[in-house]
Formats: sequence, C-alpha cells, structure tokens
Amino acid sequence: MSFLAKKSKEIEEKFFAKGKPLEKMYPLFDALDTFLLTPGKTTKAAPHVRDAVDIKRVMIFVVVALIPCIIMGIYNVGYQMLLAKGAEVSLMGAMGQGALKVLPIIIVTYAVGGMWEGLFAIVRKHEINEGFLVTGILFALTLPPTIPLWMVAVGISFGVVIGKEIFGGTGYNVLNPALTARAFVFFAYPAQMSGDAVWAAVDGFSRATPLAVVAGADRGSSAVEALTSAGYTFSDIALGFIPGSIGESSAVACLLGLIFLLVTRVASWRVIAGCVIGLFAMSFIFSLFQGSEALAFFSLPAHWHLVMGGFAFGAVFMATDPVSSAATNTGRWIYGILIGMLVVLIRVVNPAYPEGVMLAILFMNVFAPTIDHFVVQGNVKRRLARVQKA
Amino acid sequence: MSSFNIKRGKDIQLKGEARREYIDVLAPQRVAIQPPDFRGLKARVLVKEGEKVQRGSVVIEDKDIDGLNLLSPISGTVKAINRGAKRALLSIVIENDKSNDSRDFKKYSAADIKKLKRKDIVASLLEGGLWPTIRQRPFGKIASPQDKPKSIFVRAINTDPLAADTDFILNDQEKDFQAGLNILTNLTDGKVHLCIKDTANSAALTSAEGVEVHLFSGPHPAGNVGTHIHHVDPINKGDVVWYVEAQDVVRIAQLFSTGQYPNRCVVALTGEGAKDNVYAFTLQGASIKDLLSGTDFAGKRCLTGSVLSGRDVGADGFLGFYDSQITIVPEGGNREFLGWLVPGFKKYTLSHTYASAFLPEKPVSLDTDENGGHRAIVLNHLYDSYVALDVVTYFLLKAILAEDIDEAERLGILECDPEDFALCTFVCPSKVNVGSIIRQGLDIIEKEG
Repeated sequence: MSFLAKKSKEIEEKFFAKGKPLEKMYPLFDALDTFLLTPGKTTKAAPHVRDAVDIKRVMIFVVVALIPCIIMGIYNVGYQMLLAKGAEVSLMGAMGQGALKVLPIIIVTYAVGGMWEGLFAIVRKHEINEGFLVTGILFALTLPPTIPLWMVAVGISFGVVIGKEIFGGTGYNVLNPALTARAFVFFAYPAQMSGDAVWAAVDGFSRATPLAVVAGADRGSSAVEALTSAGYTFSDIALGFIPGSIGESSAVACLLGLIFLLVTRVASWRVIAGCVIGLFAMSFIFSLFQGSEALAFFSLPAHWHLVMGGFAFGAVFMATDPVSSAATNTGRWIYGILIGMLVVLIRVVNPAYPEGVMLAILFMNVFAPTIDHFVVQGNVKRRLARVQKA
Repeated sequence: MSSFNIKRGKDIQLKGEARREYIDVLAPQRVAIQPPDFRGLKARVLVKEGEKVQRGSVVIEDKDIDGLNLLSPISGTVKAINRGAKRALLSIVIENDKSNDSRDFKKYSAADIKKLKRKDIVASLLEGGLWPTIRQRPFGKIASPQDKPKSIFVRAINTDPLAADTDFILNDQEKDFQAGLNILTNLTDGKVHLCIKDTANSAALTSAEGVEVHLFSGPHPAGNVGTHIHHVDPINKGDVVWYVEAQDVVRIAQLFSTGQYPNRCVVALTGEGAKDNVYAFTLQGASIKDLLSGTDFAGKRCLTGSVLSGRDVGADGFLGFYDSQITIVPEGGNREFLGWLVPGFKKYTLSHTYASAFLPEKPVSLDTDENGGHRAIVLNHLYDSYVALDVVTYFLLKAILAEDIDEAERLGILECDPEDFALCTFVCPSKVNVGSIIRQGLDIIEKEG
C-alpha cells in the first residue's frame, strides 16, 4: 500500500468511519479520496473482472473536450472587450481581460453547484457524482460575460436542485441540468440575459449578435447580405470572433471537442448526426419559401445556421447528455433530428427570440421518454409477433 | 443446419489460455458436492461427517422434486459438511479412499439404449444422479421431470473468456456423445438442438445425427445457451426449454452403458494465476488444490467457471458441477494515484477512454478490481451492444427496479439469465451489476409463480 493510501485509511478510520465524529461527511471524504486514489474495491460477484473505465473518467473527458471552448471563450470575451474599447488587441491582453471576467463565473458555478451536490450527497448518503463537473462548466459557458455573479449562483442552484436533485440526482433527471439553469436565468432575468448590450463586457457598448442581425433584417432581404453589412463574415462566426455567450461562439472550438468525444466514444454520434441532419433538412424546407414577403431568416443557408448561435455547442455538449436524451439507438436518431429541426424552426419563425437551441433541446428532453416509449413498444411488438408465429 | 452470426458482444482475450495437452488428475484427494451450483435446489443432506460413501451413493436429496438426488462421485469418507451464512449448505467434502467401490445401476446395451422410453430415461437419470445435468429456461434451474419442454438444447460451444474448447474435449467421444443425443431425443416430443461453433471439426459434433445442428459464430456471448435459445427457438410466457452441456451428454450415455455413476470429466485450468495452463482429465467436483498442485494461491481469486460467469470458491474450493473450467486471476485492490488521469497504455477497456484502446489487441492481464466507484446509470446506451438478445436492456432494468413485472415480461425477462448480461456489467462505467438486477427480476417472477 502506498503512503497516500495508508494515510487516507488512517484519516478515514479516525474521522469518517461509522461512529466517528465526521461520519456524516463521508461523501465529501470519499469524493476527495477517490479523486486522489482509485477506489481499489474488488468485485463481490460475477463478473469478476471489470472494464478500466469509470464515471469519473467519462465525466472528466467531457470537461477535457470543453477545453477548446473554454480557452476560446476566455480569449473572445477579452477580444470583444478590447474591440469595444477601441484598444489594441493582443493575445495576452485579450486572454488576461477575458480571464478576469470568465474565471469568477466558473469559480462561482463550481463553488455553489458543488456545495449543493455535496449537501445532497450527505443528506442522501450517496457518493458525490462527477456529473456536476460537467454541468457546472456547461452552465458557465452558456452565460453572457456580463452576468452578475449572484445571478450565476442563483442559476446554478436552480439547475442543480430543481433540474436534477429533486428527481433523485444524476442519472434520474429528465432535463439537462445545465440547460435548466440557463433557461431559468433567461426567463427570470431577461434584461441581463438578452438584448444587444450584454455580450461585450464594456459598459454602454452594444453590438447585435449575428442571430439578432438576421432577425432584425427587413422582410425579403437576404440574410447573408444583412450579416455582411453588419460586419460579420462566415469565418469570423465559425471561429467565434463575435459577441455571444462565453463558450458558445466558436463552432470550431466545438468541433475540436466533438472530435475528442467521438474518438473516445464518450458522446453518442447518433444524436449529433441527427441534429445536423435535422438542421439541414429544416433550413432546406424554409429556403423553399424565401421571397420578398418572407422574413430574412428564411434565406439563411444551412451552413450558416450550423455555426451561428449556440447550435454547435448545444448539439455537441448538451443534446448528447445520455441521461436526458433518448436512451434507445433509434430514439437517439429521432431525438437528434427533431432538435435540429426545432432549432431552425424557432430561429426562423419566432422573431421575438432568435436563439432556439436551448429551448429546442429542453423541449426534446421532455419528449425523449415518449420517443423511447414508442421504440420500446416496437421491441414488445416484435416479441408478440413471435408468439403468434409459433 | 442453420448458421447464426452473432454481432453484438465481445471476446475478452485474457492471459492464461489452456494449451491443448492433457494432464491426469484422476485420483484427487478430495472432491465435493456444492449445492450453490444448483439453482433452486432445496437440499436435504443424507450423510453425516465420517460416514463411508460409495461412488454413486446418495448424498443430498431435493425437498421439492421427488427422487432428485445428488450422488457422490467417488468412494470415500464424508470429511466435512460446510455451511455459510444462515446455515446455507456450501459443500459436502468427500475424502477419496481410491477403492472405486461403486454402486451399480441398471446397464443397457447399445441397441436397448435406442429404444428407451421417456419414463425409463427419467427414472434412470433421477436414480443415477444425472437428472441435475438437465436445466431449464426460464430461471436456469434444474428441470422438473414432469415438464414437457418444447425443445432441448445441447450446448457444444463456449465463448466465455479462456473457456474449455468443447470441440477439443469431445475428441474421440463421438460414440458416447451420439448415444447421449439419442437418449435426449427420446426425452422430448420437440426437437433437440445441437449448438456448435462454426469452426467445429471433431467427429462428435460434425457427424451428430437425429438432431438439429446450429452453427454459431461471432464474439461472446455467441456460446451462451441464452443466445442459442433466443435465436433458434425463443421462449415466450408459459414455455419451457431444457438445456444440457455437451460433456454431460457424454456422461448421460455412460450412465446407461456402464451402469455406474460417470464421474470423469475434462477441465481447462486457466488464468494467469495458475501454475500451468493445461487441460486435465479429472473427476467431477475435484478440489482446486488437487487440480493445481504447486500453484501459489496467495492474493489470487479461484473461480469455478470463467471470469464473467464463474463463482468464487476460494483456494479450498472445488470444480463446479456444470463447469469445465477453473480460472485463477490475481485479486485487485491497488489504489492508484490519480487513476482517472493516466493515459493507460496497459489498461483494458472496451471504451475508448484509455490509450490501450488504440493499440493492437493482445491477451491481457486483468485483476478483480472494480476500477471505479458505484454510480447511477449514466451511459445507458452501452448495454445493448453487448447483449446478443433482442432486448432493450436499460428499459428492462428500469422495469425490474420498479418491480413492474408485467412490463419486464413484455420486455423479455423470461429469456434472460444473469450470465447473458455479464458483458454489460463488465463495460458499465457506473459499475452497476446488470446481471444481479436481472436475477432480482427473475426471483420475483419465480416467487409469484
């Protein structure tokens, strides 16, 4: 036994074991202990050997997949600030400015979310689930950089408690907790969460996001022309040098995360493929109706939809949450395709709020069990058909 | 002849495969009868410690099925009657006196065997102690002699990690094997299905007559009887099918032709913890210490059966009644520093979260570490890729945990056995024992009748 393992056993027996003073705090000890050292428990029954992967590794891999989005997000927040101030943009300058804005948001999210997670683990006497590492960072990355920190705390509290814990914790929730938190702050504090002024962390500065530009363009005009005249190019939007939520603006960063998730097979490729197919299909359908009377959004080509707003981020990191998505393979295709279609539907025909990703995914989270129900009934029917054949 | 190519599943390649040579362990010091081998057995012990028994003496009778007996494989003295928690009977150990003093049963000529009636076969198998070789699905318990199974499956393929190669151990047994198949065909009005590996080439399997032969290929669980039943003649509510291991078919024939309790069997001694990985001719229920003399068992787990579906019997344990494999693997329990962070070139995973997943596959060393803490099920889509049955595993588990038995039956629980889900448990990152949830569901159904 290594030195650390010995020490940990000593501490456990002295303070956290049954009947010792800090017995109730065992989940906290367990979380720290198993963070440092693998649990080292052996199997009690067949199968006697097990795969090396565990939930800790899976969840941390999702966080690793988010690193490009985090770095790009920090840079872009700083970059947008410097642009707004009219200052000279340097890499270190932008990173520094961005970090000062973004890191407090991430820290508050983890501190408050982790507090709730720990509290529920203690009360329920179960292990702390690493899922909150993912929930916390996802929530932080969907926020505008100008959000007051107390709002971050309220939002993540709502997401963790109402979105997850009241259902029984990770694995039992119906909605994606990060999106639940995001939706809560969006509807509770619309002034701080929407409009053109919240995306760059400089007072008095406002610039419409690409989605807002298209939503505000005249009927019958071309969406791409509207974007171009507002100073947006396709590559700026795809790379993410545009105002927007901290981590969502760069489709390229999401793509890097996607590659990592697919190579390590942590995320369901069916959901993501479904989202993209749905998005292309729906924007094709809408493009058939573009014309002088139609909203400018009808004319926005699919590949612009793909990189704009939170679609890439939502499809890669939110829709793929295995707990709140459909759980059958066929179901995942349907779930993904419908998310893609809903995103475009909301963007194009709902002028009040041009970003449809959050609501599309939450809506499909609610419908995922229904989709699964029909897929499972298909399995039951196959079974019944067998009896009748025999 | 029909073929089935199983696509869902995985062959875990472990170190310690038995090489194709035989050693003789035909006079083990001790053998044991282990009631936990027999699901559903309500054992009443008929011997006392120190009592002399013959080869073929009744040691245990079942309280429920009239005439169902477990016999002593050897002549000798009852050395110990071991009990565990709640006085559950664990094993009856018999010390070998090597005299081969044997109880006689009725003997049949080859011509007579072909003409046997069901009633006589049942009576002889019960009396001769080989009735327990016939098990049933659902529930995986000893068959009831009154039941009329819709078919009988003979399993002559085993795809468990390091499993004994049925094709190899049936070499030169074609006569007895065929005679055993004939007896089984007289036992049912339905068909007898012989399930073999597509590459099988021993005469016993390739020239079997009077039965339906099915070729199975693909990864584990292609060799599980649950897989065979599901694809060949699936069970619906109210159905019963029986199944027998190939080696036991040979033994059934020997009971009729020799008039003595057939106690010989072949076992593969596997796993990197064993001193030598080889096949052994031995006696049913032989002790692990006899089979693996010279092996250092410290820090190792001794399994009868495979790492996926075997039972931990300890170094003082014995070969299980239905098993043709002993596996010795190192115990785990090492705590690794920041284990979630390491690249893992030497980790074994079917996920792609360790570097080893991108290296060419070769036999690996696995210990009994769970490799993670218990969590709620998160990656619910993994299971179905490792079950060879057309079931929606995650929803079946949810139905069982909610004790919604009607739904579980609709989702096919009656076709399921824990061993069919061993790979699901293996891959589950939440370390959920899928098989034990399936067992929980089957137990409820059995209890409620």
